[in-house]
Amino acid sequence: MTTETTQTVADLAPPSVRLRRRLPALDILVRFQSLLGLVLVLVGGLVFSPRRHGTVLFLTVDNLANIVRAVSETGIIAVGMTFVIIAGGIDLSVGAVLGLSGVTVATLMVTHGWGTVAAIVVVLIAGLLFGLVQGAVSTVMRIQAFVVTLAGLQVASGLARMVSGDKFININYGHGHGLAPPSFAVLGDRLFGNVIPVSAVVFVLVGAVASVALNGTRFGQHVFAVGGNERAARLSGINVRRVKIITFGLCGLAAALSGVLDAGQLSFANPNSGTGYELTAIASVVIGGTSLFGGEGTVVGTIAGALLLGTLNNILQLNNVNADLQLIVTGLIIVAAAVLQNVAARRRAT
Amino acid sequence: MTGGGLAPETDHPADRRPVLEMTGIRKSFGGVHALRGIDFSVRPGEIHALLGENGAGKSTLMNIMCGALSDYHGQMRLEGQVVRFSSPHAAQKAGVATVFQELDLVPGLPVADNLSLGREPTRRLLFLDGRRMRRTAERALAVVGASIPARTTVSALRLGEQQIVAIAKALTAEARILILDEPTAALSAHEVELLFDLMRGLRESGVGIVFISHRLDEVAKVADRVTVMRDGRVVAVLPGSTTPEDLVPLLTGRPARDMFPARTTVRDRVCLRTTDFGYRLRRPSASWREPTGVSLTVREGEIVGLVGLLGSGRTELLQAICGAAPPGRTLGTVEINGRTVRLNSIISGQRQGIGFVPDDRRRDGLVPTRDVAQNLALSSLSRLSTAGFVRRGRQREAVRWAFEAFGIKASTPAAPILSLSGGNQQKVLIGRALLREPHLLLLDEPTRGVDVAAKADIYRLVRSLAAQGLAVLVASSELPELAGWCDRLVVLRDGRVVVDVAPDTDPALVLASAGSATPPDTSPQERP
Repeated sequence: MTTETTQTVADLAPPSVRLRRRLPALDILVRFQSLLGLVLVLVGGLVFSPRRHGTVLFLTVDNLANIVRAVSETGIIAVGMTFVIIAGGIDLSVGAVLGLSGVTVATLMVTHGWGTVAAIVVVLIAGLLFGLVQGAVSTVMRIQAFVVTLAGLQVASGLARMVSGDKFININYGHGHGLAPPSFAVLGDRLFGNVIPVSAVVFVLVGAVASVALNGTRFGQHVFAVGGNERAARLSGINVRRVKIITFGLCGLAAALSGVLDAGQLSFANPNSGTGYELTAIASVVIGGTSLFGGEGTVVGTIAGALLLGTLNNILQLNNVNADLQLIVTGLIIVAAAVLQNVAARRRAT
Repeated sequence: MTGGGLAPETDHPADRRPVLEMTGIRKSFGGVHALRGIDFSVRPGEIHALLGENGAGKSTLMNIMCGALSDYHGQMRLEGQVVRFSSPHAAQKAGVATVFQELDLVPGLPVADNLSLGREPTRRLLFLDGRRMRRTAERALAVVGASIPARTTVSALRLGEQQIVAIAKALTAEARILILDEPTAALSAHEVELLFDLMRGLRESGVGIVFISHRLDEVAKVADRVTVMRDGRVVAVLPGSTTPEDLVPLLTGRPARDMFPARTTVRDRVCLRTTDFGYRLRRPSASWREPTGVSLTVREGEIVGLVGLLGSGRTELLQAICGAAPPGRTLGTVEINGRTVRLNSIISGQRQGIGFVPDDRRRDGLVPTRDVAQNLALSSLSRLSTAGFVRRGRQREAVRWAFEAFGIKASTPAAPILSLSGGNQQKVLIGRALLREPHLLLLDEPTRGVDVAAKADIYRLVRSLAAQGLAVLVASSELPELAGWCDRLVVLRDGRVVVDVAPDTDPALVLASAGSATPPDTSPQERP
């Protein structure tokens, strides 16, 4: 009897037992996949960066600033998207809202002579409302968010063309008719000895506020609960509709903010700006470890995911890898991130 | 086989040689021994009920029988031949058909397509042969004696009919063993009867049926033999006619009455009073039994049990009282602590001090992506936060209270909720409702899928809160549980209250008034 038992334990323990010992490492890997990926990409950047006169091009202030500038726009959107996705939704309209917000803020200042603050505030509120309306349509009329925001994408890009007359709007600074207030140009500046782009500072602030909101507030807990099990959330007394609508509002707000930054950084507004950003943003969220099924995710992961994608593109560009290949590499990374998540989810289920 | 309590096997249907025979089956998961040497056999033409509390090892044994688990110790013989199935498919080919609780039907496809799923007949190698498919389906449905049109879409069928289609699908020509895993769990009383007729018919044709169920009254009705499992062992093999009263102590391992705490004083103040209460759905649904003309009271400190068969409207009544019902219109009145209230949402119910624990833990209760502490605090976040920010300290304290009060067994409050046992998950959900400090607690099947020890914990905790004045209304399909735990029983039938009785009333009488066997021969009696 005793020998038999020993044999059972030694030889015939099911594979799950042996697996379990290795799991913590896997857990850590999944938990910090985007951060680890980011570190990998940064190291890769150092190794593969072209050098000129002994300087590593990747590490130059200008290059890093470029990365952060580019990333901050999709990154801010991705942070907003994180809320929507954790609550179990999706928002495809963000890129178009970015374009609409850019041309609107430019038109308000250039054509209508508005001040910087007034124009920005109005555009942000408009973005928030646009998101809230999409959320309301989706939850109240019970239409999938995918469909509602796909329609929202069309509406926003149509509006963007209407507002701009389907033309670029050049933003020239000064005082008088046809000029934008010089204060708007600040958005394209760099701070702290001409090093850190303003957009990066905004990005970090947005990320910090969002992270606290998601993890430290009642609303954040509700977002997780709604995405994790909507029925349970409702029966626990959570106003599920309101939570969902607010996430869409936040996402619209983030897209509008991105649009304002875009116009400020480029000093012109393009109604087609932001096209395809929704996919980059969703990719950042997924790479960041947020489940598209909802219920789990982190803002920090999303930020790391956005930085990873931006840095990777930058490295490939520095090495003159063509844009098509960049897309392919991005696709593979998304798949890898999803596979890792799947492994983690399966582990949790047992 | 050692160990006491082993009753002698009866010589039921004609001592035929078992078609399936399992000997010395052992299986462990990690360090946990799920099966510790099981002997189990099924004879041709018998209905063999397999009983056990959750965690007793029933599902593991079933999974071995049906091929879902292949690494186990011990021997399984099918018609004398030693077999070890590598997959459910292999088991089915060998003649062991299984109908799992989750029916493996595609809801959007017609019955015929479902019945030939994966082996669709084709014409010219490509095109579906619809006619042949329907013929096959009609033949399969005839075997189970069902008059279901083969063209009907599965989702349009009632649950009972779907169950029968699933059985027809499992029963291939070579099936000699049919395993039914809690087939009656979601069926109405009438559908259960139809299913039993089907099972009896199959028994006549020589199929051996393994019937897994939690309903002891059903077992007595249909089974030829009963095997009772506990802690991975077979504790008894008994004739099918064994009464629930005799089965309970075997299942739980202790006399039924030791499970329940002593009753406490019921106060005079009425907490819940419904008068001629009813609820009409805005969009009527056949599967939602509308409460009609319900008048009942629950006093402070009182635990009232809602007795009723499946489909009697127990769940619906609780949902309607707490505001969790689908959109609809309330009839009559609901008074909480003497004030008439209108409850049209869970939130309004919570504001009136009503706590509700739904019956389907996985579907309506747990948030699988959140940890134990987060699941516990879910309903009471507003109490635990200031200006929208959750106060960690307060939350920790609340979680600690719930852990201690219930004896929740989790490695840490940050453990994943699904890593807990069913009993501990249930404690978390009851804790979630209690953290709001309700006046009235509504419990729907609070011990479904909960192990014995956790059951006792739940009885004890709810009783101790009742002693402090909490009013409790609890619905359960297990009459012995309600009889042992409650201060008063209310019997529901077709959405109406039929009688209001003391818990020590003869169970047969209670069941009769619930409509399970003969119609009630006594007029409704009122007890204070």
